[in-house]
Amino acid sequence: MMDMEHRAPVESTSALHLRLGSFRYADADHDTLRAIELELSPGSLTVISGDSGSGKSTFGGVLAGMLPRQGADSCEGTFILAGQRIDYSPEHSPRIDVAGWARHLGLLPQDAGLYLSRIRQTVAEELVFARENEGMPRKEMTELITEFSTRLSLEHLLERDPSKLSGGQERLVALTALSAANPSIIVLDEPLAGLDSTATATVTAMITRLRAAGTALVVLTRTTEAWEAEAETLLTLADGTLRPATRTARTAASSSKPSGFAAAAASEKPLLAFAGVQLGYKGASAPVISDLDLEVRAGECVGLAGANGTGKTTLLKAAAGLLKPIAGKLRVTAESGMLLQNPSDQLFERTVTREIAFGLPKKGLQRARVPRILEQLGLASCAQTHPYELPASARRLVALATVLVREPRLLLLDEPTEALDPAGLQILNEVIDSVLERGGAVLFSSHDERFIARTAHRVHRMPRQ
Amino acid sequence: MKRRITQLHPFTVLCLAVFTVAVATAASVWWLSCAVIVMCLAIGAVAGKARKLAALSGAIMLPTLLSLLMIHGLASRDSSPVIAAWGPISLTRGGAEVAMMLALRTAVLVVVGLLCGLLIDKHQLVAAIDLSPAPPQAGYLLASTLFLLPQMMEKQHAIGEAQALRKAGTGRGLAGWLQRLRLRAVPLVLSSVQDAHDRSVHLAARGFPARGEHSRLRQVADSQIQRGVRWVALLCSVLVPAAILVPFGGAA
Ligand SMILES: Nc1ncnc2c1ncn2[C@@H]1O[C@H](COP(=O)(O)OP(=O)(O)OP(=O)(O)O)[C@@H](O)[C@H]1O
Ligand SMILES: [Mg+2]
Repeated sequence: MMDMEHRAPVESTSALHLRLGSFRYADADHDTLRAIELELSPGSLTVISGDSGSGKSTFGGVLAGMLPRQGADSCEGTFILAGQRIDYSPEHSPRIDVAGWARHLGLLPQDAGLYLSRIRQTVAEELVFARENEGMPRKEMTELITEFSTRLSLEHLLERDPSKLSGGQERLVALTALSAANPSIIVLDEPLAGLDSTATATVTAMITRLRAAGTALVVLTRTTEAWEAEAETLLTLADGTLRPATRTARTAASSSKPSGFAAAAASEKPLLAFAGVQLGYKGASAPVISDLDLEVRAGECVGLAGANGTGKTTLLKAAAGLLKPIAGKLRVTAESGMLLQNPSDQLFERTVTREIAFGLPKKGLQRARVPRILEQLGLASCAQTHPYELPASARRLVALATVLVREPRLLLLDEPTEALDPAGLQILNEVIDSVLERGGAVLFSSHDERFIARTAHRVHRMPRQ
Repeated sequence: MKRRITQLHPFTVLCLAVFTVAVATAASVWWLSCAVIVMCLAIGAVAGKARKLAALSGAIMLPTLLSLLMIHGLASRDSSPVIAAWGPISLTRGGAEVAMMLALRTAVLVVVGLLCGLLIDKHQLVAAIDLSPAPPQAGYLLASTLFLLPQMMEKQHAIGEAQALRKAGTGRGLAGWLQRLRLRAVPLVLSSVQDAHDRSVHLAARGFPARGEHSRLRQVADSQIQRGVRWVALLCSVLVPAAILVPFGGAA
């Protein structure tokens, strides 16, 4: 698994024992992780919570042997994984064979799409990609696919192109592919983000099954709520170090329902109107949405709810003008702005400021607004940072800022709460209120029923196909 | 019939293509070249790709033909009868013949090559290589080259959407196209590099490229007959040109 000199068999009953002195990114001026000790026994569930930017994903990378990057980051600590001892020291970090490591410990990244290979044509092939590279006979792979796709109700996706899945479907496929590779420890970074309630239940059931079979699970998450009943170890990551977490009652919802604009709005002309609209993608066999009737009026905040793959993103993209309806009438009478489901799809400039100012006229009202928007969204301190280096919550706020700087009257938000921390959520609520107060309208999709109930005046439920 | 053609083993298609090009080029007679081109178009039509094949071949061959005519037709200094003349420049019959002959040869290569590209499914080809005794790196290399372009197209589409959301790069016509090109080029390169980097560690973690024995879920249909055809085709693409080009008997 690593250089011979660092290889020493160790007797131990735990699946993993880690003592991490410190971890520091290549050009950082402080340690991101320090003084961490972690032991995982087979069949255990360890939940590690932490705010956005607390270092959960970094810790996941360290666990998976993907960090420290050789010759760049500095790390000090000792791993005992599958009976082998690996020593990191600032002077010498051993060369890690990522594939060998992954056979024992697999990681599902926060951006689950990155786990998919993008070189296989169907979901079925994607599920057994790791097994193909191990040389598993075809018959066994077929059995594996049947077993896992039934367990996670993926049968209808097996022949689909993995690059053309909805956000939730993508995460579910990646998760299944990871479990099909059958490592003895599985680390999941925000595994439930963007999943509907059915998928959440299936994933939870599968985790129980994996544990029963002896797999140790580590879940990295922002909120421990969904896990408290199951987990045997609850830890929080703060200031770069792990501490036992107290099982808390969840923090009370802070925001109130947006005040009563809806009633006054009833008479207004709709800003967005779908009438008998059919939406779909080229090359797909059936349309995603048919006979859609939906109106959004000024002063209204409308929530879109529905299972994964029912077309929420598709609907929002059509409203933003990215997708032409196949049939029916779609009328948009106001300037619209849209926050995409995956902020990485929306960000492409080198600094946060450039990102927000992109495409704005050199001199003008909008450009003058940039500093104020940064202030409003709490991004002033990272104005010169690369958007890619920001923690997920801040990255989503940057994407939101690029939309808000244009002051759209119709604000379209695709899963805006995903990855947001409490502070970010507060900001999001303020933003929604301010758009409504301005006489605008908001249409958003979400799987978070509580957020919908709190925020939306009205909910449109997507019919299941 | 269409299914028969599109379900041929990718290697069979490639071997037949090599054979056709080798023989037609060695023989270098106009009617054979013409026959090959017509046959390719016919196969393309049966496979339902005639329009694409014709359009692509046309796009490549027209400029080629024109430049060949300029080089050989107009500049030819032989004494054959003049077909047409514009002042000092004239097109001679001999020149035109040379140009046509060269163009036909190129056309065979182009049409056969394009037909292969249209008939062979990328995923089937990669799977065929993975399943063959070739080293796993071969499939890895081919997969990364073949899928790079479609992945970049997807990426540039995503960037285009993100920019369209900000009302940038939505112009029409040539100016709009150029503006889009300018706006998308840098982000495309940067994000492709980033994306490749992010994905590569997960690919490595999933054991790709395989270091030893590997398998594929995908099946590539093959048969004894096709294997036979491949060997014969390869053998003939060496022997037939040799027989045509190497002078037997007569000359010393
Ligand atoms: N580019 C695409 N090409 C073809 N089909 C697509 C494409 N994008 C999405 N789909 C399919 O269209 C359907 C609707 O997808 P959409 O992304 O709108 O779902 P969603 O409701 O937003 O789901 P989620 O809750 O998982 O985000 C899904 O079945 C999805 O697989
Ligand atoms: Mg979606």
